[in-house]
Amino acid sequence: MIRFNLSENSKILKGDYFKDNTGSKNIKKVNIYRWNPDKNENPKIDTFEVDLTNCGNKVLDILNKIKNEIDPSLTYRRSCAHGVCGSCAMNVDGVNTLSCMKSHKDINGDINIYPLPHLKVIKDLVADLSTLYRQYESIEPWLKTKEQKSKTIEIHQSKENRKKLDGLYECIMCACCSTSCPSYWWNGEKYLGPAVLLQAYRWIIDSRDEERKERLKIVADKLKLYRCHTIMNCTNSCPKGLNPAKAIGSIKKMLATG
Amino acid sequence: MKDNQNPLSPHLQIYRWHISSLLSITHRIVGVINLLALILIFFWLISLSFGKGSYESFLLVINSFLGKFILVGFTWSMSFHLLSGIRHLAWDLGYGFEIKTANISGIIVIIFSLVFTVIFWLFGRGLI
Repeated sequence: MIRFNLSENSKILKGDYFKDNTGSKNIKKVNIYRWNPDKNENPKIDTFEVDLTNCGNKVLDILNKIKNEIDPSLTYRRSCAHGVCGSCAMNVDGVNTLSCMKSHKDINGDINIYPLPHLKVIKDLVADLSTLYRQYESIEPWLKTKEQKSKTIEIHQSKENRKKLDGLYECIMCACCSTSCPSYWWNGEKYLGPAVLLQAYRWIIDSRDEERKERLKIVADKLKLYRCHTIMNCTNSCPKGLNPAKAIGSIKKMLATG
Repeated sequence: MKDNQNPLSPHLQIYRWHISSLLSITHRIVGVINLLALILIFFWLISLSFGKGSYESFLLVINSFLGKFILVGFTWSMSFHLLSGIRHLAWDLGYGFEIKTANISGIIVIIFSLVFTVIFWLFGRGLI
């Protein structure tokens, strides 16, 4: 059964207020979702007053500043800080994005930061993506060949066919798109979601792959694929500027036209 | 995750609305409203089949302010669903997935559903 509101243990309470002690005039209020698995408490929103005078431009810079200077217990995933690894995906200002790509200068007023939506929270901004990884595995994201010949010699790809992978291969699996999708919120166990479907299409459309038919058969399912209703939250959120909605549309079209 | 005590991160409560998501849910709601509109049309026909008296009382209800409001509303909901449906058909054909195109087509759907409604009533009332 679909549940639109949050269950009792997921309800968000008011948290602590960390007042600025630098006396700076250049202050930004940052509201961050906190949940500690070691305490038997509900999630809460902590508010931090952050001095932007000595802070980088990105939302991740703010998080690092808070962790280094205000509250070292703040927990979030991050690694490359250049939009390549996909670790720091979170909900900033109401839209999923990579905090290392999002400039806090684009945000008017307070900055609200939550974990990726509709996931089990592990701690603070770290959420559990194991379902998504399992689904990714289910589409068998590797090149598959049938004929012995292509197992021994290099498989060539024309420039035109290589071009078909543009806008797909750049995906870093940060999960911004999938966790922005209401269909994925309500049917996340069965619907594959935009990230995994974009990856599925990336292998379906690869001219070197020899199992296109089987791949299409795997995704051609009422729940796995057709839960996409072109809400387009995925494309609106993708920090790499890709278009999962279009990739899903392409799969649907391939299935419809045979 | 085995531990059921872990909270679920907020979703609908915090996610920002886009034109695309707003139109998507409106399309669904309006689809249900259209079903009610169809039921009203059946009642209209049924009242006719029961003769002059019942038809006149149906007209009395429908000519009230609320009745007119509902009829105009149904005209809009039908127009919206039709135009939005065409937008969905374009997607099915593989067109209009770019953010900018989708936003423009969305705004066109909103504006023209209103324009259709106005034209329909002006035409129906013999004003054009």
